[in-house]
Amino acid sequence: MKKEKRTLGKVLMALVIVFFYLPIVYMVVFSFNSGKSLTSFTGFSLRWYKHMMESHTMMESLSTTFSIALIATAVSTVVGTISAIGLSKSKKIVQRLMEQVNNLPMMNPEIVTAIGFMLLFITFKIEKGYVTMLLAHIAFCIPYVMLSVMPKIRSLDPNLADAAMDLGATPWRALTKVIVPQIMPGIVSGALIAFTMSVDDFIISYFVTGGGVKNLSITVYTMSKRVNPSINAISTLVVVIITLVLLVINLAPIVIAKKEKKTEISRKKQAVPIAVAVVVAAVLVLVARLGNKTSTLPYAGQTLHVYNWGEYTGENILREFEEKTGAKVVMENFDSNEQMYIKVANGETYDILVPSDYMIQRLIQEGYLQKLDHSKLNCMDKLSEDVLGLPYDPDNEYSIPYFWGTVGIVYDKTKVDLEDLEREGFAIFLDQKYKGQIYLYDSERDSFMMALKTLGYSMNTEDETQLQEAYEWLVNCVQTMSPEIVTDEIIDNMAQGRKALGLIYSGDASYVMAENENMGYYLPESGTNLWSDAMVIPANAKNPDLAHEFINFVSDYDGAYDNSSFVGYTSPNQEVMDTLSGEGGEYEGIDAYVPRSGNQNDEVFEYNENTRKLIANLWSKVKIAASNAS
Amino acid sequence: MKKFSQLAVPYIAWAVMMLILPMGLIALYSVTEQGNSIISFTFTLEHYAKFFTDPDFLIVLWRSLLIALKTTVICLLLGYPIAYFISRSSEKVQNLLVLVITIPMWINMLVRTYAWIGLLSEGGLIQRLLSLFGFGSGELLYTEGAVLLGMVYNFLPFMVLQINTSLCKMDHSLLEASSDLGANPRQTFIKVTLPMSLPGVINGITLVFLPAVSSFFIPKLLGGGQYFLIGNLIENQFITVGEWNFGSAISMIMAVIMMLLMMAVRRVEIRNNGGKED
Repeated sequence: MKKEKRTLGKVLMALVIVFFYLPIVYMVVFSFNSGKSLTSFTGFSLRWYKHMMESHTMMESLSTTFSIALIATAVSTVVGTISAIGLSKSKKIVQRLMEQVNNLPMMNPEIVTAIGFMLLFITFKIEKGYVTMLLAHIAFCIPYVMLSVMPKIRSLDPNLADAAMDLGATPWRALTKVIVPQIMPGIVSGALIAFTMSVDDFIISYFVTGGGVKNLSITVYTMSKRVNPSINAISTLVVVIITLVLLVINLAPIVIAKKEKKTEISRKKQAVPIAVAVVVAAVLVLVARLGNKTSTLPYAGQTLHVYNWGEYTGENILREFEEKTGAKVVMENFDSNEQMYIKVANGETYDILVPSDYMIQRLIQEGYLQKLDHSKLNCMDKLSEDVLGLPYDPDNEYSIPYFWGTVGIVYDKTKVDLEDLEREGFAIFLDQKYKGQIYLYDSERDSFMMALKTLGYSMNTEDETQLQEAYEWLVNCVQTMSPEIVTDEIIDNMAQGRKALGLIYSGDASYVMAENENMGYYLPESGTNLWSDAMVIPANAKNPDLAHEFINFVSDYDGAYDNSSFVGYTSPNQEVMDTLSGEGGEYEGIDAYVPRSGNQNDEVFEYNENTRKLIANLWSKVKIAASNAS
Repeated sequence: MKKFSQLAVPYIAWAVMMLILPMGLIALYSVTEQGNSIISFTFTLEHYAKFFTDPDFLIVLWRSLLIALKTTVICLLLGYPIAYFISRSSEKVQNLLVLVITIPMWINMLVRTYAWIGLLSEGGLIQRLLSLFGFGSGELLYTEGAVLLGMVYNFLPFMVLQINTSLCKMDHSLLEASSDLGANPRQTFIKVTLPMSLPGVINGITLVFLPAVSSFFIPKLLGGGQYFLIGNLIENQFITVGEWNFGSAISMIMAVIMMLLMMAVRRVEIRNNGGKED
């Protein structure tokens, strides 16, 4: 009977271990995959490791993660221990009160704590970045340290310190020589908890960071929308580091035990893990920083802060720009114009932004941009006429186009009847024939564009009844068609042919069509959004000269070619566009690559504050309706 | 002796600044109008009214609580036997198993969640295994099941470790006493082991329920954009919509609900201890 239970327990334990480690093993295996897929292993390669080593976003996020964790652990352990000792000697009422206060970050949902920190830093105008992230980490780590130290202090003989001082010890000596050694196990476990919490933190860091400072969690969160096997590579690196640390921690006490007297072991044992963790993390921080060499190039020592869409730059362009100028490029990514706007409006500083048309109009209106110095630009005559002088910036005083295109429907030719598309246009997203087979794009603007265009209205309408109608159209769609609302995930999913139809940006469609020949791109006759994203320089940019240099570099043939061929979006550089879409070009025969001209229903987005708010709210409600329907 | 109590003074100041003030700011934002500055503001309750009068928001809140509850129950049902098994092993095995459960927590939470995308996606390992056993090939990723799985995966270690700690603290002579007094193993478990491990269970529930109810990256990565929980709603207000006052109001509502729930759970513990605290 008892035996049986043990066996049952063992089976359960084994299953749980498989459950815990399966994803980790899977990740390690696929970090060596030669292909991009996360589901089929096509051969061994180290390309994702190379990719990881070359990307400073990834390496720096690793070093940020560990340096913040180390400092936060050290500070919170010392402060937490001292404060806990102090509190234990304070009045009962103070003790109880502080216990409640310390409970705040532990008993509150993390997101609430995170928002509290964010509002705090913004209210006091503290620039968000490394320091704010560190402060927040220290703040949420201390309560954990105190929680683990407190019980040990309580179990101490209260007369211990008095006895020490009666024997002539100063209070400081009594503290360090008598009390601290007694509560050491509590301090060590507190430090370990603090370290774990800090390394693993995402939500709090996500809300309090700025200026391109990212920890590993934030990097993964912003990169994971598109299949990106280098995440597996960096994860594997973390696994290796952790395993090494653990091995050392577990082996070191044995080695020491052999060398030293038995009585010493217990204390040594506690100090070793921390010492090892410190050393390993310090080495890591060093390694990650090693890449920064000094140079004598014109912009050496300067940093260009670029705030751009995710996965929106060529493979080599940033590195080449750094090599040419000696400057360092820090890139931060956003996945919507609105997200970018909030950061800019809150005073974060960047040198280059890449917003879309209507958002540029808004930024100009609200005075967030500086005029470009055209004497420093040499790119104007290389750019296509079609994408210059658009309504949001008629004389290109503020902006130089980066990519442009349309919004259309990507469809699987083997599953979708072209006649249906021609007959229905965007209304195909209401066709029951394709229920469960569609992707919507998580963009309020383009979703409303689709609905408004189908209903025969202008996508720039300010008429609230028309917007309400569009809202109902979208709710109807999410309730009857069970769509998946995605962002960049659509790219890989359509390239794999997972669903029949999706709303997509032309550049993503080019990429999908180049990967999978069964895919087509359709632009409804009822019109669509002719969009462009352009580079602008914020009014508070720190390095405007370098920013102009960057604009030239990106618009030049080589830079533009790298960008456009790698990402799939249409280049504003006329020559690049012709080469890529022409004979032998990478996007030859892919109609999505060349933006449509001549359809009078096509429009360019304009900015209107009221409509923006209305659409933003209605769109969250569409998403809520979608999740309530499923 | 008094001298030592002064050691706490700097921390009290820090805590007021870093722990109390932020909560105060959220409360302030939640009852003021959009676009006010910190110096001049107008009070309003419209943000709360907006939330409570809209059934859609309430459904989101309800679903978030429900999925957190499901996660907690599954974690408890899985975690208790595991913790029990660990606590019954020899000390050496115990340490090893605790380590085995802890290691995944040291590897970044997002990274581990990301790994599930590959496992669950179409043509991935799990689906192939399932179809091998004839379970068809339904979609796994971007479903509620995937979100639930992600949550259990991330939060189960908290439950196991908490219960295990309290089981290990238990005085084993109590069990012997119980069986000496004629209780069978089952009675011993129900009358002695279970009540003694209750503090661990309650800590575990807290540590699982809290992050589960407010998580927004697990639903986003594994549930897709159409899977919307209260955490996503708050994130959305702050990151994309920019209505911080409404976002603050939702945060306050969440914080209060959590506080009430946690108080209710603590009550169970206190009652179990015969009415005395600690």
